[in-house]
Amino acid sequence: MNDIIVQMKNIVKVYPDGTVALRGVDLEVRRGEIHGLLGENGAGKTTLMKILSGLLRPTSGEIYIAGKRVHFKSASEALKHGIGMVHQHLALVPAFTAYENIILGLPSREASRKKIEKLMEETGLKVPLDALVEDLPFGVRQRIEIIKMLYRNVDILILDEPTTNLTPIETRELFHTLKELKKRGKTIIFITHKLREVLEVTDRITVLRRGRVVGRTETAKATPEMLAKMMVGREVVMKIEKKPAKPGEPVLIVKDLWVKNDLGEWAVKGLSFAVYSGEIFGIAGVEGNGQTELVEAITGLRRVEKGQVILMGKDVTNKSPGELYRLGLSHIPEDRHKLGLVLDMTVSENSILGIHRLKKFLGSLLNLKWGVIDRHARDIIERFEIVAPGTKAPARSLSGGNQQKLVVGRELSKSPRVIVAAQPTRGLDVAATEYIRKLLIKMRDEGKAVLLVSADLDEILQLSDRMAVMYEGEFMGIAKPEELTEERIGLMMGGYKMEQISSKTSPQPVESR
Amino acid sequence: MPGSRFWIVLKEELGRLAEILIAVLVGFVIAGILMWLGGYDPIAAYIAMFEFSFSDPYYLATTLSFAAPIMLTAITFAVGVRAGLFNIGAEGQLYMGALGAVIVASWALPGPLYLPLAIIVGSLMGAVWGLAAGLLKVYREVNEVVSTIMLNWIAFWVVEYARVYIYPNPIDASKTISMPPAGRLPILIKGTELSASLIVSLVFVGIAFYLLWYMVLGYEIRATGLNPSAARYGGINPKKAMLWAFIIGGIASGLAGVCEIAGRPPSYAITTGLSNLMGLGFDGITVSLLGANHPFGIIPAAIFIGALYSGARGMQIVTGVPLEMVKAVQGIIIIALAVPGIIRLIRSKIRRGGVKVV
Ligand SMILES: Nc1ncnc2c1ncn2[C@@H]1O[C@H](COP(=O)(O)OP(=O)(O)OP(=O)(O)O)[C@@H](O)[C@H]1O
Ligand SMILES: [Mg+2]
Repeated sequence: MNDIIVQMKNIVKVYPDGTVALRGVDLEVRRGEIHGLLGENGAGKTTLMKILSGLLRPTSGEIYIAGKRVHFKSASEALKHGIGMVHQHLALVPAFTAYENIILGLPSREASRKKIEKLMEETGLKVPLDALVEDLPFGVRQRIEIIKMLYRNVDILILDEPTTNLTPIETRELFHTLKELKKRGKTIIFITHKLREVLEVTDRITVLRRGRVVGRTETAKATPEMLAKMMVGREVVMKIEKKPAKPGEPVLIVKDLWVKNDLGEWAVKGLSFAVYSGEIFGIAGVEGNGQTELVEAITGLRRVEKGQVILMGKDVTNKSPGELYRLGLSHIPEDRHKLGLVLDMTVSENSILGIHRLKKFLGSLLNLKWGVIDRHARDIIERFEIVAPGTKAPARSLSGGNQQKLVVGRELSKSPRVIVAAQPTRGLDVAATEYIRKLLIKMRDEGKAVLLVSADLDEILQLSDRMAVMYEGEFMGIAKPEELTEERIGLMMGGYKMEQISSKTSPQPVESR
Repeated sequence: MPGSRFWIVLKEELGRLAEILIAVLVGFVIAGILMWLGGYDPIAAYIAMFEFSFSDPYYLATTLSFAAPIMLTAITFAVGVRAGLFNIGAEGQLYMGALGAVIVASWALPGPLYLPLAIIVGSLMGAVWGLAAGLLKVYREVNEVVSTIMLNWIAFWVVEYARVYIYPNPIDASKTISMPPAGRLPILIKGTELSASLIVSLVFVGIAFYLLWYMVLGYEIRATGLNPSAARYGGINPKKAMLWAFIIGGIASGLAGVCEIAGRPPSYAITTGLSNLMGLGFDGITVSLLGANHPFGIIPAAIFIGALYSGARGMQIVTGVPLEMVKAVQGIIIIALAVPGIIRLIRSKIRRGGVKVV
């Protein structure tokens, strides 16, 4: 049971642009364990695992699988040795069915529906084989990826931040699956920043920081504080201090808002609420209940079919994003790749997206003052501790978390009056999460209004002065977090209105329209 | 420092140089095989081609005179690509620009006014022609490939009609009235066709570079081309950015048309069947692709294509290889160039769809 299946020795990785991502990393993984790989954004976790799964070649260092030295030249060679990786951004063809995706790339004689069904039966990983992937929720897509790997007889399964886009229930199901796979003798490497998860599901943990291993431990001997300290290199305050809010004027008012989703169905059904200056208004709820559409409608990216949005006293219904920004709106979008960044532009160029027409960046020829802009970008890099090769590197070359920090940094540097933050800490490590949460509170204390939309309930509870729970385009209730128990929130997330729960009668689900 | 930014942009954009050189090589090799199969001596043909394009000032001047207009039409295509468009309307916009210059030539004006007015009217007419495709794209969702091809043909017949019925040359029926000498661009090297249109082209290429990488409009155009959703999120109106790309492209090609009238001896006019304009817009596409759609890639690429044309005469005189062989070289180069582009496109499509994460 104690034998080492993966051994990586003194791995160094220098990217072609000179970024040193790994500075001599040793990693040992035992057969049949769940091994947690923990580290801050940009620590090198993804890089290390891409090397193990054959997608990248190390600059130097040795890899042994079950004691034998290997030199992978491609992912398929690693696969032959039983190593498979499930990426954070999943790698499925949306227009294919689950079944087609699972057998994609295999010779047809190896494609057997029966075998897949048997595999699903044995592992409890159920997916609708004939459904199109694009119609399936993220959690199911991830299961397809895992089945795909298992079907290729993977013994060592690498999961890169698998819970980032999962709902709490899906996360629980995933952990159950992982434990099941472990029982069946599979080795699992689990990348995450989330301390709670790593403590819950792993056997041993390796912690990376800035390309070096800074700690190894048995999970049983670890505490969250100790792991956080290792990751960040200093003590992390896990609890955020918050003074009582001093709400002022309502600066963002939404009246009877109706919005459709891309399929033309009603996604937001007559919402009304106000966000006051000096408060954080949180919206909780399982993803896909209209939060995305609500945020897009408020920020000028999606048509309002009916109702009104009032920002700083002005009716801004269906106004363009540019006009909203001029009134003092900042928007941290939930999808940084699609909206927040132009990945092929440089860090500097991205640091002014949305504020590029500000006077201070413009010269007399309507030219952009690159000197000023580069300084602005460097300022954001420093203030938000972004790990980036430089202001002239394309945003694409930053690690996922650092891309997010760049977006957040840019939006908060605008000195906004109203901040709409959608999943602002998704994909961020503890230190960055702490930093951004504190910053949102600081913004609130400075009298800014913050609308926070997050699928992370802890985040909502920790930050919000008032919160709403959204279900199928409606609010199940608005309350102060301290007035709600987790259980009541859970019920509201599942479609029970607050009044129904408080009036001690047995709860009735709202019939969906 | 703007200087350092300049080099970064250059390095990043010309990174595909190797790819381009290979495509050029492939073009020459395959065309060479074709010549050999046709019973010609490819080596001798290429030597003649080179001699007649660069070997003495006269040939070099001819090469550069061919390069000038296609630099401008290449800018039309390149600015479009930067905005995420496939604008192949340079041909029609160039016809309209040339017509604009002829219209101005028909007016009775004080001498010094001819050239500036020709430039203004010609580039405006090119811009309007580009804008037409832009408006169709933005407000009617007409694909710009379709609309620009149609507009090219409309421009052809409009200009051809004007040549025959409105501005025929009273002395020589095979062309329109000529630009009066006062309105002509000066010849740079005596006895050659090389006029100041080369300078006009180089200046405009510089302006296009400045616009795309240093001006806020260029920033908006590039953001739109690279990620329209993010551009919209960034307060940019992608429709406006695209319209501007069409307008700028139209100005470039319109200007090319003006230069062909005001700066090309001996006719200084539009000739029968637009024979002196035909193809210059499409050559711009080749040039832009060869130049990695970058203003500073476009300059050497235009000189290269210009050299092919001027060298082709020598090739025909010395070895008898027909002029059309140059077209074959060009065509093969374009195909060879397109191959890595297509592969990249497929790869990025797949990646966006989520098949491969690298
Ligand atoms: N293709 C690349 N080119 C240049 N540098 C890169 C590239 N990919 C990653 N890096 C750099 O290497 C370092 C490690 O990145 P990596 O993606 O491995 O981090 P990570 O630990 O997975 O972070 P995250 O939690 O944010 O995903 C970062 O500094 C990043 O900027
Ligand atoms: Mg990562």
